[in-house]
Amino acid sequence: MDDKFTIITERVRAFIGGEDGDFDELARDLFALQYEHVEPYRHLCESRGVTPKNANAIAAIPAIPTTAFKEFEITSLPPNERTTVFHSSGTTGQTPSRHFHNAESLHLYETSARAWFKPHMRTDEVESIITLTPSPKEVPHSSLAHMFDIIHPEVTPMGRVGEDGKWDLETDVLDSLSQPDVGPVLLMGTALSFLQLADRLPRHRNNIVSHGSRILETGGYKGEKIEWTKTKLHEFISREYGLKHEDIVSEYGMCELSSQAYDTVAGQRGPRRFRFPPWARARIVSPEHGREVSLGETGLLEVIDLANVRSVLAVRTADLAIRHADGFELIGRATNSEPRGCSLNASDLDNRRADEARSRTHA
Amino acid sequence: MRHGLERMLDLGLPNFFLIDTQPEARLSPEILTEACRQLKRNRVQHLRDTPTEQSVKILARLAHNWRDDLFPIRKLALAHGPEATGFSKPSLARGLDQFFGRITEESLHNLIAQDLGDSRRLDGPMGTPEERADNRTAMARGPELIGHITAGNLPCPTLMSMVHGVLVGSAQFVKCAEGAGFIPRLFAHSLYDAHAKLGACLELAIWPGGDHPFEAALFDEADCIVATGRDETLTEIQSRLPLGKRFLGHGHRVSFGYIHRDVLSRAMAIELAKNAARDVAAWNQLGCLSPQLFYVEKNGAVRPEVFAEMLAGEIEALEAKEPRGEISTEESANIAYRRDFFELRSVNTGDVKQWKSDGDTSWTVVFEEDPVFVNSCLNRFIHVKAVENLGEMLRVAEMTRGQVSTVALAAPKNDAEEMVKTLAHWGVTRVCPIGQMQNPPMGWRHDGRPTLGDLVTWTDWEL
Repeated sequence: MDDKFTIITERVRAFIGGEDGDFDELARDLFALQYEHVEPYRHLCESRGVTPKNANAIAAIPAIPTTAFKEFEITSLPPNERTTVFHSSGTTGQTPSRHFHNAESLHLYETSARAWFKPHMRTDEVESIITLTPSPKEVPHSSLAHMFDIIHPEVTPMGRVGEDGKWDLETDVLDSLSQPDVGPVLLMGTALSFLQLADRLPRHRNNIVSHGSRILETGGYKGEKIEWTKTKLHEFISREYGLKHEDIVSEYGMCELSSQAYDTVAGQRGPRRFRFPPWARARIVSPEHGREVSLGETGLLEVIDLANVRSVLAVRTADLAIRHADGFELIGRATNSEPRGCSLNASDLDNRRADEARSRTHA
Repeated sequence: MRHGLERMLDLGLPNFFLIDTQPEARLSPEILTEACRQLKRNRVQHLRDTPTEQSVKILARLAHNWRDDLFPIRKLALAHGPEATGFSKPSLARGLDQFFGRITEESLHNLIAQDLGDSRRLDGPMGTPEERADNRTAMARGPELIGHITAGNLPCPTLMSMVHGVLVGSAQFVKCAEGAGFIPRLFAHSLYDAHAKLGACLELAIWPGGDHPFEAALFDEADCIVATGRDETLTEIQSRLPLGKRFLGHGHRVSFGYIHRDVLSRAMAIELAKNAARDVAAWNQLGCLSPQLFYVEKNGAVRPEVFAEMLAGEIEALEAKEPRGEISTEESANIAYRRDFFELRSVNTGDVKQWKSDGDTSWTVVFEEDPVFVNSCLNRFIHVKAVENLGEMLRVAEMTRGQVSTVALAAPKNDAEEMVKTLAHWGVTRVCPIGQMQNPPMGWRHDGRPTLGDLVTWTDWEL
């Protein structure tokens, strides 16, 4: 069985590398393997009457909801082969989503992450790269910390885990940024980390980062009860850090996926649209009937990610997005909707989802 | 989609209330203060000394009219209601019929007598036998001005509060939640048409929740604030009230059904499923009195899972007659997400089963062996859970204790009384038959409190 996965991993890697290949064909082959080896997923497919034989169009491949990663082990890897596991962030005591990897699948994850990061962040235009997340040694189950760690050979982590277990910043992060010879820098972190860093900025000093610096924010407030819109967050960062809006890039990712979407290329003006790489496709589907919505309409975001080799390639998120011709626009989570009337809506399930809404699953 | 719509709908109604003006006619705290003072002056002139008997007659006649298909305001409600409220026309018609059907001269008199001892005690001093034995009498008066802060899109609680206010002779300022002013506005107009002087003691407006300067103006002028909404909202409102204001807050409540094994013969179960479907469909399950789930005892002739299937059949049948109507993408996404969650469970474990409408989210029934209490995401999404007995149910629903309004109970007569006692001690404030959850009688004590009793202030007269 491993041979088959190794072969398809190599095919996906070649596709990521730009070699000719057919997305649909890869997706169908991957689906067939995962159908066979990921039991909870197979049960779902069976109940919907979908098999590798009759799933001719990739639209027919059932998407597994992100909650499945909490409830079940969505993996083809036997326990003894799981060398890495990424968890979604969440409140203590609740089961997080778990995404298992072995060396081979982790390597593919890294290939995918690097390949789409590079053209968006244009790291050759900055002199240093700082991540505000803790190092992977401190947070081995954070896909975000791992991603930032491997995304570029010269990344300095300036985040740490505080005594209360929450993510915090190194005390000398400001010193590193304020050195006189520090040139343009790329700062990467969660939305919360940019709020934390701004808190420490000296008053009347909003040019903490040099001209030409960039920011990559991944959303996420790590359980804090803050729910800012992207616009508000970007205005805040732009004001506090003295950067132009186009120097701030949003990333969309989650531990259940192996590829990420970016909403613009650093330094590029124009409308912001999230786009996945060519080896991952977003589909915005109507929650009413499950079919893709028309352009301009809102629905649930589904992703077919070919880099999800050892889990399930088709994932349905709880994120609501607007479908555009050139990408998608995130508008929140299904869970953020206020229930009408005055009935309670605070079950365990909802709490979990509300927490996710506050801190993006990717971390 | 629905937000603010009621302001845009040109219903051809005259500008009697602030809510009738277009949004560009901006409100200000000064306008609110002046409106409140005018209401209080109007009350002294037109309402305070109106005999209760007359108010009762006006209200009862109005309620009767609202159930008449030819009543122009009902026509407006049903013509524009689906667009403005999201409820389908048949659902709305049924909800309004049930609501107004409860308001009769008799039920209004009974309500006053239940809460105040005698229905004439709002008009002047009058003693109950107990008081007379003590050589005294008493009269009750309502607040000068009640400020209502309403929540949600269910019109009935707001209308009922307005009816209570008229009964106790209070001027009323109703601040409607955004997107929830359509029916209250029509009701206010109908009251104005029925009796312009009563209508002149009523004002309605909409502003975004938590707008402090507006609310401060209202809180300064009103002597009683009646608020519904989330617990945090209520606490927050209360913290902003000047000293000496009466505050009646109705916070989060949940409701559910409970079915005893001895009433689960096949014939009875079918009947119960029909009635339970009514509870789920009424106001699309959006109110505090709507069921989150039904607990069904094991070891009856009909198993809980089979009951869930029957319920699914009944809801499906009802959907054809009284469709749920359109909901927002967010609400629909909530349902889709939950369905995914339970579908995944059901295909991987044997103790979960789901029935749902094809091709849309209009209804869903989820059966689970696991009895732990779960909230529904509403809009006709109902859980059915198997349970051993009432004791187990109370244990697994502990998290909701103190927040339960209604339990719809189906049990043999012999057991029912003991069960009601247990539920009462546990904190439940209303037990009703299945099928009647959204149809409480006029005398219903909201949150277990005497409704008029909490509004009035007494003057005792010792002879």
